[in-house]
Amino acid sequence: MHSPELLKGTLQTILLKVLKDHGKMYGYEITQRVKELSDGRILLTEGALYPSLHKLEAEGLLKTETVMMGKRVRKYYSLTIEGKSLVKERVSEFVDFIRTMGNVLQVELS
Amino acid sequence: MLTDDHISYIIKDLNYRGIVAEGIQDELIDHICSAVETEMVNGTRFIDAYHHILKSFGHTAGLRETQKQTIQLENTKPKNMLKNYFTVAIRNLRKHSFYSFINVAGLSIGLAICFIIILFVINEISYDKHFAYADRIYRIKSEIKFGGNHYNMLYAPPVMASTLATEYPEVEAAIRFRERGSYLVKRNIDNIKEDHVIWTDKDFFKVFAIPVVAGNAETALAEPNSIAISETIAHKYFPNENALGQTLILDNKWNMKITAIYKPIPTNTHFHFDILIAMEGLEEAKRQVWYSNNFQTYILLRQGADAKQLEGKFPELVVKRAMPQLAEVLGDNLTMEKFVAAGNKMEFTLQPLSDIHLRSSLQGEFEPNFDIAYVYLFVAIALFILIIACINFMNLSTARSANRAKEVGIRKVMGSFRSHLMRQFLTESILLTFISILLALLLAYLLLPLFNQLSLRTLSIPFQQPMLYGIIILAALAVGLLAGLYPSFFLSAFKPVSVLKGHVALGMKSGFIRSALVVFQFTVSIFLVIGTLAVNRQLNYIQNKKLGFNKDQVIVIEDAYALGNNRMPFKDEIMRSGKMENATMTGYLPVSGSWRSDNPWWVEGRDPAVQENMVSIQDWRVDYDYINTMGMTIKEGRGFSREFPSDSSAVIINEASVKRFNFNGDIIGSKIATFGDGGNGEPDRNKLITLTVIGIVEDFHFESLKENVSPLMMELNEKSEGPISFRFQSQNTQEVIRLVEAKWKELAPGQPFAYYFLDQRFGSMYAAETRLGKIFGIFSVLAVLIACLGLFALTAFTAEQRMKEIGIRKVLGASISSIVVLLSKELGKLVLIAFVLAAPLAWYGIDWWLKDYTYKTDIGFGLYLMAGLVAFLIALATMSFQSFKAAASDPVKSLKSE
Repeated sequence: MHSPELLKGTLQTILLKVLKDHGKMYGYEITQRVKELSDGRILLTEGALYPSLHKLEAEGLLKTETVMMGKRVRKYYSLTIEGKSLVKERVSEFVDFIRTMGNVLQVELS
Repeated sequence: MLTDDHISYIIKDLNYRGIVAEGIQDELIDHICSAVETEMVNGTRFIDAYHHILKSFGHTAGLRETQKQTIQLENTKPKNMLKNYFTVAIRNLRKHSFYSFINVAGLSIGLAICFIIILFVINEISYDKHFAYADRIYRIKSEIKFGGNHYNMLYAPPVMASTLATEYPEVEAAIRFRERGSYLVKRNIDNIKEDHVIWTDKDFFKVFAIPVVAGNAETALAEPNSIAISETIAHKYFPNENALGQTLILDNKWNMKITAIYKPIPTNTHFHFDILIAMEGLEEAKRQVWYSNNFQTYILLRQGADAKQLEGKFPELVVKRAMPQLAEVLGDNLTMEKFVAAGNKMEFTLQPLSDIHLRSSLQGEFEPNFDIAYVYLFVAIALFILIIACINFMNLSTARSANRAKEVGIRKVMGSFRSHLMRQFLTESILLTFISILLALLLAYLLLPLFNQLSLRTLSIPFQQPMLYGIIILAALAVGLLAGLYPSFFLSAFKPVSVLKGHVALGMKSGFIRSALVVFQFTVSIFLVIGTLAVNRQLNYIQNKKLGFNKDQVIVIEDAYALGNNRMPFKDEIMRSGKMENATMTGYLPVSGSWRSDNPWWVEGRDPAVQENMVSIQDWRVDYDYINTMGMTIKEGRGFSREFPSDSSAVIINEASVKRFNFNGDIIGSKIATFGDGGNGEPDRNKLITLTVIGIVEDFHFESLKENVSPLMMELNEKSEGPISFRFQSQNTQEVIRLVEAKWKELAPGQPFAYYFLDQRFGSMYAAETRLGKIFGIFSVLAVLIACLGLFALTAFTAEQRMKEIGIRKVLGASISSIVVLLSKELGKLVLIAFVLAAPLAWYGIDWWLKDYTYKTDIGFGLYLMAGLVAFLIALATMSFQSFKAAASDPVKSLKSE
């Protein structure tokens, strides 16, 4: 399992990319999806997930839609147009970062 | 799968753990439910799965931390902060709806006035700026002092324009205008009277770039008997036809060919000519003289030319061109030095086009202009009214501070910064202002027609301009800040400790600034009231002053020349009806705008070359019945009489001319002389005309009372083409009009019938003053109204504050009247101080306004006292309503609580 400290700066990028690939998702679904993609090595804590989602929503990158499910209410998140245009940029920025880290740490990346 | 019971359990449990925030609550519930469901699929019991999930959240503390972080993230957004200010502001305004109402009412009236005044001022300063070469157009101003007369006028000699255009390289073009009154215009049969007709030179369209829609602007007015007409006139006479090349007949005799049609001249222009007649056709315009001034002259400077430099060359022009001609007329050895030494003056200057509307009021203006001083005055009044309204706001906010002191204290204890509180109070005032501005806009929209009527303008609110909305928002911010700044400083400065202990005792006594503001409000109000009363008194004085003639019961029939040879029969037949007392036929009437003619005369036998002997005098041509019809009084001698055939060489002079002529010996029987006409309109030195004085008429005012009565003489002329005036007895004016109109239609078929009453025309000489009086009146009523609204609320507040005191006083035996006095005393004092301040200011203002009038009413101290009393009584009435209500209330009610 990766340390949450390492994840801190990448959380937004993860959320945006996952939402881009899967359309609308709700909070729990996102955690499950990330867990699945990382073979269980990245576990998003709820304490970090929800503030981040709300922040992205406030910045206008995400939009929400609520669905009544019996006694429960489910809130789906999806990208806004602005959010969609940002994803690619964020991802390439991150890839760039990893490459730089590779140079700094003097390791070969595949 | 989760059952409903499970879900309810989770909801309740989470609620119990303090997860309550809207927005995050539902989400966490769903998340936990989904997670529990997943675990239950693997066969875990519900309660174990739930607790396992809770653990992954960090139990209650973790959940709460997540909630807190989410909320904090949202609350630091400025939008939320503003929303909070806004909500609190609305609640406060609604809670104190009485005070909010007073504030909104006052502010919206104040703003509406400001708004209208701004529209008006923008319109006034936009005059003539729309011309393409506006900054290069100048007008000739003449100052001439001669024969005891002093003229400041716009009339220049006929040769001025051509001389400037041909001999001065700075001048690109020069044009003249010549006014000849109104014209009767027809296409075929029926005449219509047109007022805005002018003769002008062919370069008119070169100087004033008014768009020409048909015809060639350059050649349009080159030929005699050609005219250019506005589109309005074209549509009027040639509906759905091409007017270009057609003919209109002017005054029944001149066939004029239409050579150009131009766009109507914009309203914000100092002239509005509908028909331009080619100057080529006017004989008078071809005279090469410098001593006669009849033409308004405009020049267009070349790009880069300096007006001041050109002006500097004018004195030389006078010496070289005008003096030799004057010497020829007045005496051979006249030089500039002698001319000036005798106290005479002949000076030409340039007036920029942009100065005309607001800074010029000379003889020869095409239309009455406005005065920049009144623009400033209006702006000042509008600002003052707005300030009065803002003061209401400040006073009410600070006065009510005691009530809000606790709120401030608690907010501060809870961690508010002073800046937060200030922002809160400013939001309230800006919100209030915004509501007021919207109301003001509506108010201005409703009041604008009234204002247009008073100011003779056609203003409208430019709703389609986006600028307006920007200005509204800016104004709301600016006025909101202005009104809210002081209260927000004042209120936010409270110390929480003292406030919460109850140490803030802010009754009426504490507010020195508040008192000062009330004094200011009433000073302005009383100033306006005194101003209104003074203007109205002067108007009254003018209307009732002994004028030396009787302006009532006289009807004047205009354009009598249209009757042709039927003029005499028309007059005689109407006289025969027995409804009229007297009738006279002449254009020389004692109201401004009538015919005038000025000539130099001297006492026979004196040397005309000596300047002091020459008297420049109004030379009127009247008939036998003139003096009786106008109700003038002969002081000495007699009037014209058919029994004396020699009266054709007789003259009647007024008292002012008696003084100027300075006769030796008997006045009646003395002779006066002038040069006769050389046949070409120029005086002939070898041909003397002499007239014998047979009577002296009492001085009568024939111009505005702003001017002195100047020397005047009357000669006999029975065949005038001027209007016919009838003095009638009947009280039924409709009957008189019917009688005259019927006769007119019979004797002048197809000619327009136009008349006016002499007293109306007299009144219109003071139309500007009347309008000023009305506008002033409205302003002062509004100022007093707004100030009283504030006073009303302040009294209400004081009464509320002193409820218990009043109760105890009443229990101890105070009477209602003594309590009313107690409550009104302090504010009453302030009104008194305001009066003491306003009176000298008003005195100064009135003195300034009246200095234009030669004949003015005496503004006694009584008027000031009256104004003060009026203001005081209104203030008292306002206060006593509230005071009385408080004083009459049952003490049991106010003392029962606590």
